Amino acid sequence: MTWTDEELVARSIGGDSESFNELVLRWERPIYALAYRTIGREEDARDVCQETFLRAFRALPGFRGQAKFSSWLYRIALNLCRDWIRRERRAPIVQPPEDVDVMELAAASEPSESIEDLVARKDLSRAVERAMALLPDEQRTAIVLKEYHGLTFQEIAELLGCPLSTVKTRLYQGLTVLRRELAKGEQRRTKATL
Amino acid sequence: MNELICRYPGDRDQALVTFVYDDQPQGPGDRAAFEAHLATCEVCQDEVEALRGVRAQLGRWNPPEPNFAITFGEAARQLRVSQPSAISPQAPRASRWWREIPAWAQVAAALLFLGVSAGLANLDVRYDQQGLSIRTGWSQPRVAQGAAPAAVAQRSSSADTPWKADLLAVEQQLRAEMRVARATPATAQVQAVSAHGGDADIVRRMRALVDDSEKRQQRELALRLAELLRDVNVQRQADLAKVNRALGAVENNLGVEVLKTRQQVNLMYRASQVVR
Repeated sequence: MTWTDEELVARSIGGDSESFNELVLRWERPIYALAYRTIGREEDARDVCQETFLRAFRALPGFRGQAKFSSWLYRIALNLCRDWIRRERRAPIVQPPEDVDVMELAAASEPSESIEDLVARKDLSRAVERAMALLPDEQRTAIVLKEYHGLTFQEIAELLGCPLSTVKTRLYQGLTVLRRELAKGEQRRTKATL
Repeated sequence: MNELICRYPGDRDQALVTFVYDDQPQGPGDRAAFEAHLATCEVCQDEVEALRGVRAQLGRWNPPEPNFAITFGEAARQLRVSQPSAISPQAPRASRWWREIPAWAQVAAALLFLGVSAGLANLDVRYDQQGLSIRTGWSQPRVAQGAAPAAVAQRSSSADTPWKADLLAVEQQLRAEMRVARATPATAQVQAVSAHGGDADIVRRMRALVDDSEKRQQRELALRLAELLRDVNVQRQADLAKVNRALGAVENNLGVEVLKTRQQVNLMYRASQVVR
């Protein structure tokens, strides 16, 4: 039987540690992805992910279900990301891996995919990562929440504590910057291959 | 007729984003109005297309695979240390805790488990002229027809300790096979193995594995080369641009210096004329 998040939360509060484990298993990937895409560093994203669950675990008795569990978790993670950025006093730095993990690449590749396609796919991923790193913090967060976590405008507005119109403006501005930067990157890659 | 300048009366940026994400907090009315506008506005059509393109590209960005076993393993440990009774007396167990155990320890544990299980089940594995046979249980096995008479004799003489007889039979079998193996050249062995139906299948599978491995290595090499070439190209372009910039700066500096020198010469010349 599959429990809902809210049921698992209730059971965790009641002392069932397995239920909290289940919540961790269910949400660790989305939270890690959110942290990574927000701060751009793998190690730090892992730390943020870990700290998010620690804080959630500690604060669980106080969770009254006013918001969805996932929104509550996202809020904790985003606050931690914000703290991290403030502490580092710099824009998130995207660190593409020094060396490509070929085994991982090969495992991720489709059997029909050629080497060129594989490299192109990896290149595009890096280009998106770099372009995202150029965005201001609030635009990047809005795009990450919308694009990769499928939150509604309303949910993002509640999570970030800003009006709905601000969320849309941030999204529009962010997408416009990304469009320009990705086009530039595309031109550079085309030049390099000529 | 399509327009070249957008004349959308509302907040165009917000309408565009709402349309592109198909998220309608204000209901479908806004969408209908924007759709009607979109049908005639080429500017908005282009922008919608471009933003959808950006979204498609965003979909290609995946974070690297995290190692969650360590992440929550550490988290659980911290929880136990820092807050042993946050919710319940027992902190949550680390998820997939077994991944934290080194691989060698896992293998050792698995072998130990297998060994104990085999011992408990009195597992008897044989590979003789009759093929591979696996037997479990403590009952006395039925002697196969045509089995070696010596082994039968041994077994009947030590009926009170059947495992000793089995062990002796296996030992004799192994010794006989080793003698044959020593006497037969390696190539003949390979041929013999290949000739055997079951072994031929294993050899075929091994060859397939080796082929796969070779293909994978070739693929990795090609990937490395392609990446290397691309990186070299990008670096070359960047270096050329840097050199160009540096040359330009040197030329500029040189030009400025020449200009200054010329001005000073002119000044001195004019001064000398005045003195005269």
